[in-house]
Amino acid sequence: MIAVGAFALGDRTPRRVDEPADAAAVAALLKSCSTAGEAAVIVGGGTLQGIGNAPARYDRAIVMRRLDRIASYDPRDLTIGIEAGMTIAAVTQRLAEERQFIPFDVPRPHEATVGGTLAAGWAGPRRAAYGALRDLVIGSTAALTDGTLATAGGMVVKNVTGYDMSKLYVGSLGTLGAIVRANFKTLPRPAMRRLAVAPLGPQSEERAVAALGSVMVEPAAALVVRGFTGKTTGVNDESVRLVVLFEGSAATVDRATRELRSQLGANGVAQTHLFEEAAAERAFQTTIDATIEPLADRSITYRSRGIPTAAWARMDAAHTHIERLGLLADAIADVRTGDVYVRVAAGVREVLEDRLADADATVRRVLGRATLVAGEPGLRARLDAWGSPPSTIATMRALKARFDPAGTLAPGRYVGGI
Amino acid sequence: MARVARTMPNLGTSTELGTRLVEALGSGVALTQPEDLAVYAFDAYSEDRLPTAAVVPRDAREVGIAVRIARECGEPVVPRGAGTGLCGGAVPRNGGLVVSFARMNRLLELDARNKRARVQPGLINLALSKAIAAEGVFYAPDPASQKISTIGGNVGTNAGGPHCLSYGTTTNHILGLEYVDAAGEVHRTSLDDPGYDVTGVLVGSEGTLGIVTEIDVRLMTLPEAVRVGLAAFADVESASEAVSAIIGAGIVPTALEIMDKLIVDAVEAHYHAGFPLGSGAVLLVEIAGAAGDMDESEAVLARIAREHGALSWRTARDAAERDALWASRKGAAGAIGRIAPNYYIQDACVPRTKLPQVMHEIDRIAREYRLPVGNVFHAGDGNLHPLLIFDRRVARDVQAVVDAGTEILRTCIAMGGTISGEHGIGYEKRESLSLVFTTDDLAAMGRVRDVFDPGRNFNPDKIFPSGAVCGEVKRAHVA
Repeated sequence: MIAVGAFALGDRTPRRVDEPADAAAVAALLKSCSTAGEAAVIVGGGTLQGIGNAPARYDRAIVMRRLDRIASYDPRDLTIGIEAGMTIAAVTQRLAEERQFIPFDVPRPHEATVGGTLAAGWAGPRRAAYGALRDLVIGSTAALTDGTLATAGGMVVKNVTGYDMSKLYVGSLGTLGAIVRANFKTLPRPAMRRLAVAPLGPQSEERAVAALGSVMVEPAAALVVRGFTGKTTGVNDESVRLVVLFEGSAATVDRATRELRSQLGANGVAQTHLFEEAAAERAFQTTIDATIEPLADRSITYRSRGIPTAAWARMDAAHTHIERLGLLADAIADVRTGDVYVRVAAGVREVLEDRLADADATVRRVLGRATLVAGEPGLRARLDAWGSPPSTIATMRALKARFDPAGTLAPGRYVGGI
Repeated sequence: MARVARTMPNLGTSTELGTRLVEALGSGVALTQPEDLAVYAFDAYSEDRLPTAAVVPRDAREVGIAVRIARECGEPVVPRGAGTGLCGGAVPRNGGLVVSFARMNRLLELDARNKRARVQPGLINLALSKAIAAEGVFYAPDPASQKISTIGGNVGTNAGGPHCLSYGTTTNHILGLEYVDAAGEVHRTSLDDPGYDVTGVLVGSEGTLGIVTEIDVRLMTLPEAVRVGLAAFADVESASEAVSAIIGAGIVPTALEIMDKLIVDAVEAHYHAGFPLGSGAVLLVEIAGAAGDMDESEAVLARIAREHGALSWRTARDAAERDALWASRKGAAGAIGRIAPNYYIQDACVPRTKLPQVMHEIDRIAREYRLPVGNVFHAGDGNLHPLLIFDRRVARDVQAVVDAGTEILRTCIAMGGTISGEHGIGYEKRESLSLVFTTDDLAAMGRVRDVFDPGRNFNPDKIFPSGAVCGEVKRAHVA
């Protein structure tokens, strides 16, 4: 018997936890839940459950970890089919054996699963260089609440046969169906990876970001990180640093490093620390981990998407306004994709509790569209994770009603109360 | 042009639709005379009925009005870009209203620093990249039709092109859409918004879910250096082996295209771009990126090509020669049109390692049906385009083309492939969809259709098979 407590979401705990052995079993479970009027939440590694609201009803947790195999992989095709419960680390390791990769860029890859990462719509920093996961998914199979398994796409890299249903399941947070398998394009591993980390003084941030635009070689990722003390690369991590990842041939990565150092130097940034290969990967991963890293039980984290050139200024504004409220802010501006992450915290939990509504209104006002992606469940329960719904919400509700008429899948967890 | 399923155009019957459209939008926007409607009866696949009316709207509001009136009249609505589609997607099967985007063809906003632009659907694909090149950016999807096809049409079919190999297809370059729904209401989607990926579902839906009226596209930085190599091979199989080896070695060029002898000879006769005549197949490889990487990448490609039997390897001398090679590659179908009475271009996709085997099978099938076949295809993606050459006036030929085409599709499916890589399903391949997908798979897609277009007014008779499967989808809806 599996302890149900580990699967709690907010103040809801399932009555029962199932670990289906295969896709057919997942579909059968969904159908039986639907028939019985029970609410079910699909569970991967549980690492991104800070995204979305707690479900309004929660009878059963359906844990996907037994679907943990590579379904199909011929490295020469540069495609792979993976079951939903396989961990990102396991996939990454298998791909690395063939000198290939998928830029998952997801926090806690040893726990995070393929299905959970897709369902959460995770889109990491390297999407500016390689495309987001939604762009690399070439096919999927989903278990639906009527007990069917629906496949879309395939194992080919160009495919316009039928609707692109995979796009619908990716990012749906398990509210339309359970992804049981996903097929991806894979990428050949670049010959070289190097992470450059430059400490930035208070006056040099904006100039450093602008200088980055003059580096001719486009980085695979570039982020400005404020705070997250002790949680990232170890360079200047009580203050501000620019984190830039270069991937490519040795010659191009060397050239990029020279250009970066020269541009930063001309803008008053004297030091650049370099991490190579495995060290670069570890340091980059810690930065990604920080995006959802809580500060004990006294923080909540927002993510907001927008245009890249405004990312730093939006992050700066949010940071300033949160500190004005007497709260602590740690923040990341992804200057390649436009994503901004802001972690709002307090030295004492009660202070954050008191100022939570103000902080929420402030962040959403300053960042525009912002969604909660992490934080202590009791704090998150007082806020709507999604903010005001987009203009297509009626269509989204209709999709939910058509795919899950009984409201079986994580009711209330998604955008607009879906 | 191959118009296999040709039927005689006949006139639409509803006068109410035309009258009301003219009333609401004026005779400058709404067209009802048969001579004005004739151009909307066909695309590059086939010719069918004249629509009852056509509109050439100036903005989304007018599209919405037209859609509402058509719905009230019970008439289907078919959106149309440039009509270059190869699967009948823009053809009105049962009269109704055609919405042409000929007037909505502007670049509305360009933000080169953030690499995005907002365009109207009627903007011609190549016109966008030309208009923005001075800013150092380009729009990557480049279907062979890009000189005339529109970005709206490209969104409809999720169009591909030679450079999809490393850049991805249209869907990977769409950041958001404005669309008119079945009720005539205007909506906007964005990948930056939370919620279901409505953008991703609309792209490639061939006008069956909504009518796109504005498109936010992702742009890319023009590469610092580009190099195009040409390798000649004794036959298509050995060229295909080279392609599989290049991909298998972990190299992803920006394009990796094969043309067989029949195509090369036709193209060279027409364009004189410098393709090696007389060889069994030509491999066209493009690499792009940092200038310092070009020599080494080229050396690796040339070595792999030689190891797989390349008879020669050379690179284009300059940008002008590169452009000439690409222009002639993209004009291959047109060049065939000059030497063949008719041709039928098939579109299918297989896993890359299956290329040599599938090329062998296509050759066998063509021989069996006694049809000359030319191959010009996106080899790096495993995306095949056999051109079956025939004479429409010979009944045996027409039937043989249809049968050979179907057998090619079945062969690709058996190898783990699919029936369309980039052209779409339209009505050409709708009945073949059930070769790829189960009833349950199609039912899930049908649910999306139910939500966006419950009345089946948007481009009916496209994508989904007629008959049993549709019936089941419908019954599921009622239940």
